[in-house]
Amino acid sequence: MLRMKKLKTAKQKIINQQLEIRKKIDSIEFEAHWFRRVFHTFAASFLIYYMLPDESWITTLKTFLAVGIVVFVFILEYLRIKGKICNSNFFGLRIYEEKRPASYVYFGVALCILLVFFPQQIAIPCILCACFSDPIIGEIRYRLGKKKAYVIGFFVCMLFFLITWYTADIPILLLASLLGASAAVVGEAKKFWLIDDDFMIQILPAIILLLLWQGLMFGGINILPAELLLPI
Amino acid sequence: MRKETEYLKKESINVKLLRAELLFAPFLIIVPILVSLFLINDWFYRGFSRGVSTYDGELILAIIILAGNILFDIPFIKSLITLSRK
Repeated sequence: MLRMKKLKTAKQKIINQQLEIRKKIDSIEFEAHWFRRVFHTFAASFLIYYMLPDESWITTLKTFLAVGIVVFVFILEYLRIKGKICNSNFFGLRIYEEKRPASYVYFGVALCILLVFFPQQIAIPCILCACFSDPIIGEIRYRLGKKKAYVIGFFVCMLFFLITWYTADIPILLLASLLGASAAVVGEAKKFWLIDDDFMIQILPAIILLLLWQGLMFGGINILPAELLLPI
Repeated sequence: MRKETEYLKKESINVKLLRAELLFAPFLIIVPILVSLFLINDWFYRGFSRGVSTYDGELILAIIILAGNILFDIPFIKSLITLSRK
């Protein structure tokens, strides 16, 4: 009888210890979750790129710097996927990122493409969508479900396009905002195994607006509004 | 089917790694605030004080960056405090 009681106590102790470990792991997961969110919002700081002086050597330097960072990240990811660097050295990686490039690589590549190759009137709202709409959609999806998340996300994206294009004519402003916001939400909602939504949410609206701008340029209409950020 | 919200679990909790992430946190929080302050400063001196509206975009972007970051920084800091207590 006494032996049975001892066994039960030992078993309870083990269960309690397991629960404690589980709690610790959960708290790290929670921290990783907010860490990823803050990483997104932090990326808005890269908009300072447009404030750098317009001199040719600085333009060359900032272009090489942006590309250099992306190349470095690529090498790092290659080594991680090949197993030369252990996954545990990367904080907040998701399970599906174990055997493919992590989200931050896609985010960085898209950001670099937008900064270097796109006019800022197109790049800025797309970057803002990835920096703020993506985490907002993620949080709302977690709390209220997918449908509400994408509806609210659409309006948040639209707000960024409206703000960036506020100097454009009203029909152009509305057209660009509707197209851009729709493309951003589609980019976020459509999941691919290889191409991450952090890439799609930035590049898809950018390509659509670029096509719209270039298409109308053939007709002699320039829809691009004034630049928001002017170099110092 | 993949679970999108699941993270890779480390077999052992690497204290060194966690500490590095905690040290990285101030950088993630302070840089966006500095960028927004820089944009507000530039808007004020080049735009507002001279009555030039061309720079108003800088103010709008500064507010977006500042508000967006604060919105997510608060729960992040809360989670860090909870973690550091354990």
